[in-house]
Amino acid sequence: MARRYDSRTTIFSPEGRLYQVEYAMEAISHAGTCLGILSNEGIVLAAEKTVTSKLLEQINHEKVYRITDSMAVAVAGITSDANTLVNYSRNEAQKFLFTYNEHIPCEQLVQKLCDLKQGYTQYGGLRPYGVSFLYAGHDEHHGFQLYQSDPSGNYSGWKATCIGQNSSNAQGILKQDYKEGGMSLKEAKALAVKVLAKTMESTSLTSEKRRNFTFDFFTNYYFFEKVEFATLSLVGEKVVFHSYTVSEIDSLLKEENAQALQAEAQNST
Amino acid sequence: MSIMSYNGGAIVAMKGKNCVAIASDRRFGVQALTLTHDFQKVFEINDKIYIGLGGLATDVQTLSETFRYRVNMYNLKEEREIQPKTFAHLVSSTLYEKRFGPYYCEPVIAGLEKDGSPFICSTDLIGCTTFPNDFVVTGTAEQQLYGMCESLWEPNLEPEDLFEIISQALLNAVDRDAVSGWGAIVHVITEDKVITRTLRGRMD
Amino acid sequence: MEILFGFVGKDYALTASDNTAARSIVVQKRGEDKSRILSKHTLLSYNGEAGDTCQFSDYIAANIKLYEIKNGVALSTAACTKFTRRELANSLRSRNAYQVNLLISGSDPKTGVPSLFWLDHLASANKVNYTAHGYASYFILSTMDLYWHENLTLEEGLGLVKKCLKELKIRFIGNLPDFFIKVVDKNGIREIKL
Repeated sequence: MARRYDSRTTIFSPEGRLYQVEYAMEAISHAGTCLGILSNEGIVLAAEKTVTSKLLEQINHEKVYRITDSMAVAVAGITSDANTLVNYSRNEAQKFLFTYNEHIPCEQLVQKLCDLKQGYTQYGGLRPYGVSFLYAGHDEHHGFQLYQSDPSGNYSGWKATCIGQNSSNAQGILKQDYKEGGMSLKEAKALAVKVLAKTMESTSLTSEKRRNFTFDFFTNYYFFEKVEFATLSLVGEKVVFHSYTVSEIDSLLKEENAQALQAEAQNST
Repeated sequence: MSIMSYNGGAIVAMKGKNCVAIASDRRFGVQALTLTHDFQKVFEINDKIYIGLGGLATDVQTLSETFRYRVNMYNLKEEREIQPKTFAHLVSSTLYEKRFGPYYCEPVIAGLEKDGSPFICSTDLIGCTTFPNDFVVTGTAEQQLYGMCESLWEPNLEPEDLFEIISQALLNAVDRDAVSGWGAIVHVITEDKVITRTLRGRMD
Repeated sequence: MEILFGFVGKDYALTASDNTAARSIVVQKRGEDKSRILSKHTLLSYNGEAGDTCQFSDYIAANIKLYEIKNGVALSTAACTKFTRRELANSLRSRNAYQVNLLISGSDPKTGVPSLFWLDHLASANKVNYTAHGYASYFILSTMDLYWHENLTLEEGLGLVKKCLKELKIRFIGNLPDFFIKVVDKNGIREIKL
């Protein structure tokens, strides 16, 4: 049945669904996991890179992009589509600064991008953008904010969320471990590492192995080369975006790993 | 009367030894009537490059915003700071875009290159660049500034000496120009910091 | 011959504008309010070419209102000024530019800090403490140079307005009878009768 209604984005199926848009979202559910956690002191963005070959040159970042001084996004989906949209949103942010001499409020930029995405679910002859975004931002109106958007052009605000592969798993852990009433940035980072460790390639591990080697396994397997890590925080009045280098990720993981093992040891005694 | 001298103003930039200085007056007026004396004509591009925009005030403001836009996009795309030479070309092409309806504005650029050597540049209102070895001037007090710089400037000045010389050159030049003056602002760019000082001149 | 001036006081911004609509030597109307409300805390006052003034200020007021409705937050006075300047600067490079002079006065709704911006028909924008447009500036800028200070109470401010108007009565040939005096402070915009 779907066959007849999925060749164009602009055609509803008799059940009132837009198949092309749903396929685009399906594409994203196979992409590398991206997660964002909002804390009182800032936002953590973490993402899993899909490394296809060890001969592939490492690009410093392909998942987390800076949009303005006080905003960054993590992308899941078709990277080439993401590049276009990242460029579009950077331009929109600069246009706003140009006309109003003020930084664009986060939600407005999210809205701008979603308006563009929505257009491709309605106008004929084109496919929708196959990208979901996590937006981490700060503005004078609402402080730190975390948003998520999908190919249909819907967006929503979150305290902690996840897109891409295994996102429902990750969201479960986030829901369980997120401290209501706010976390420190350090706690948020620790949670991000924990979620990544538990969701990445979980299919290739038996549950027994996973329980025992959660952290160790990944540090040994160059886990740090497969993730991207970035924070947005306040230093004084200034919003600072920090994209972690490979060695910084490595030391962060080692630190978290040691703490997790310690906690595990305490629990077992 | 030329539209270039409608609002008045004077800007100068000089090379020193591993440092470079840029200075402007602070007057904003409409012909002979002075309206404010805190008008910004020199803009920070990054901590190694400053640009001074002399000419019609509305275009000074429009261009400063345009350059901010384009430099921000450059920084995001290239993931590095723009270099003085590259920026000079950006300025030049931005001005030439409006070849047949130009911005009435003649910029001067002062910066330090990657190796720490001083860089100065000036362009005309349609973006024709020049890269002299000593100093560049623009604005309504251009002729007076040339005279002052010609007699005061010498090669290889240290930051503090360069500051003194650029300040004296500017303050004395604008005293002989009716539509410039009312205080000055000086930036001396060195390898590790930018020294910014505002000066009080003849406020009349 | 139109008169428009303003200043910021301790916790308010004040603008005074004549209320005469004239063409050549003929007065067409008294009681013309040459201002538009941009938001609860921002006021745009204008003079210049008849027609251009209304057209341009209505356009600006409508767009700033639209922004507020669309985004749920009002633009700050400084952002309103930048937007207005941009629009005027764009029009300057068209075949028929708007010939308008503007003052934008406002007060920060959170802190109550007042601000005043001066824009001319070439779209140069300046943040000022006190200022004037047109011929009036040749007479009353010096009055304000002498008497303005940053802690003017509203009462002292109205005294300063009276001094300025008196100076115009004595020395200015375009002797205009009546003025709209508008104050913007933390509570919003209101008119004051002298």
